[in-house]
Amino acid sequence: MPRTTAAQDAETSSHLDLMIEMTSGFAQSQDMEATLRLGLERVAARLGAEAASLFLLEPDSGELVCHACIGPTEVTGLRLAPGKGIVWRTVDLDTPQLVRDARSDPDFTGAIDAATGFVTRSILCAPMSFRGQKLGAIELFNKQGGHAFTTADGQVLRALSMSSALALINSRLVAAAAEQEGFRRELALASEIQRAMLPPPQAPASPIHGINLPARGVSGDFFEILPLADGRIAFAIGDVSGKGMNAALLMTKTASLFRCLAKREDGPGRILAAIDSELHETGLAGMFVTMVAGILDPASGRVVLANAGHEPPLLRGRDGFHPIEDGMPPLGIAAHLFADGCPESVVDLDGGALYLFTDGLTEARTLDGAMLGSHGATSLLDAFAAMPAAERLAAVMRSLDEVGSLRDDVTLLVVEDGRPRAKGAATGAFARCYAARPETLGEIRAAVTRTAGELGCPPDMAQDMVMAVDEACQNIIRHAYRGGEGHLILHLDRQDDLLVIRLMDFAPPVEVAKINPRPLDEVRPGGLGTHLMRSVMDRVDFLPPPAGIGNLLQMVKRITP
Amino acid sequence: MKLHTTEIGETTVMALAGDVDLSHSPTLRKALMELMFQRRAVVVDLSAVTYVDSSGIAGLVEAYQMARKNGTSFTLAAISDPVGRVLRLARLDRVFTIADTVEAAVKG
Repeated sequence: MPRTTAAQDAETSSHLDLMIEMTSGFAQSQDMEATLRLGLERVAARLGAEAASLFLLEPDSGELVCHACIGPTEVTGLRLAPGKGIVWRTVDLDTPQLVRDARSDPDFTGAIDAATGFVTRSILCAPMSFRGQKLGAIELFNKQGGHAFTTADGQVLRALSMSSALALINSRLVAAAAEQEGFRRELALASEIQRAMLPPPQAPASPIHGINLPARGVSGDFFEILPLADGRIAFAIGDVSGKGMNAALLMTKTASLFRCLAKREDGPGRILAAIDSELHETGLAGMFVTMVAGILDPASGRVVLANAGHEPPLLRGRDGFHPIEDGMPPLGIAAHLFADGCPESVVDLDGGALYLFTDGLTEARTLDGAMLGSHGATSLLDAFAAMPAAERLAAVMRSLDEVGSLRDDVTLLVVEDGRPRAKGAATGAFARCYAARPETLGEIRAAVTRTAGELGCPPDMAQDMVMAVDEACQNIIRHAYRGGEGHLILHLDRQDDLLVIRLMDFAPPVEVAKINPRPLDEVRPGGLGTHLMRSVMDRVDFLPPPAGIGNLLQMVKRITP
Repeated sequence: MKLHTTEIGETTVMALAGDVDLSHSPTLRKALMELMFQRRAVVVDLSAVTYVDSSGIAGLVEAYQMARKNGTSFTLAAISDPVGRVLRLARLDRVFTIADTVEAAVKG
């Protein structure tokens, strides 16, 4: 075993110093190119090389490109196609190459020497790679003093090139993360712009209302409500395929086109055909838009609709929901599809309401994980039927949102017959949404007192109804929401000689047994509320909530004058 | 709800007014419990109460139980119609000591 001399010890320790210095330099580096160049300079100086160059593999072209260069000849930017040469041999074999006499190596091309006049004698080249991930190579030329590079030089260079490979991988990861962060910010900005573009809340008297709830980030949904000069109102709902920035931009474009074309084109069929044609002007690359456009004539309660691939709108008439099925394929699929225009349907609202929605509604999940489906959606809409339109839409959204059942953006639009009702349809039914908090109980009691009177309850009975509702609300506040935030919906209606009170919440289902009345001979606080409700009502029942969301309590009392 | 107390000799008269519901019953309960800890004789004047719910009644029941344990007197006085209705429904009208007027209650 050869004894190490003091000189060798000193050399080894100074190599170690260099490695530590360079590794920490890499770790802190913001400018990788500059750091690699500085590192190359130090390595060349330490190992006594006359010239050095650093090549990185360019993934797109598959070529090695010179990123840094030391010495009398400048070859930065030089590209080496895969093939011969010492650098490529180093990269391919993934091991350091020590060439003591370049001229006798068959892979030495001599091309650079010929072009620059530099005379290469010996070469030391080490791969920059880590765990098989090849990034490039560091190549040193001509050891100063006429000697060839040694095996020890090769080991030092290999260690340094490996740590530079690691540093490079690291800095590329950091750059990718920064880019992702930039992209996230861009999305947030886009979503803000989108929200600003949606129509503002309409006046309560407006026959058309819409609501949009983006699931996360950027929405592909949109709706428009656009009063026309002749008193009619144009409206639209749409959903752009895909997610992210492209979908957001396409949505913005489609919505702008609608606003512009609705004023010019006569009828929703022409509007959709014109949008389709405009969309084909700019390539969509596999994206498409499903959309319903319509025009309401408030004076006649008549709606003209055109549908391009969207979920069929639902007409809520006296005898239930009817889908308006007619339609065309989505917009942006193929230019010839809309060449002959787009068919229109005429819908007579006749005192009813037309609902338009995106598939986020029917695809929302109920508490048991099932999809809401169109049956769930319609029963949810009916549950809030007595509420004014804007509140009704908000209640539907809230009932989905509070149980966390939304998987996608949801947009919901309602078009109502705003004409004064002719056939004595005013039932005096009452429905309103309240925050489930002790502070709102006073307001709720006042509403019940007033409505019970309007529905024909004598004052004594009205007082009892107030108490029953108050106690039921307390149960919701205390047992369903357990003091947490939430909402409840109060619904009062008269059915023949029965007063029907319904209270709905959006909390997890309560165990009915837990709020059953206690035996009355047991004098203790608590448990009284349910007893009070049962003593003044004819019936108190928990009904299956519409769409399996929250709890629905129904209380019924016969009205006796 | 408004809550006002007056001392008449050994007795504290607590006058309640307005709606005693879930938003106020914690205040009522706390005030009653303090008096019970001081072992005061208490008369609750309910003449101006427009509404009381089960949570308000629960506060009164708790005070009644503590007074019994302490051997102090706890009387409901001049109960308004809404309060009387709820007490009857809960069949507590036979549990509490009820006086027609505050004066009668204070005299015991």
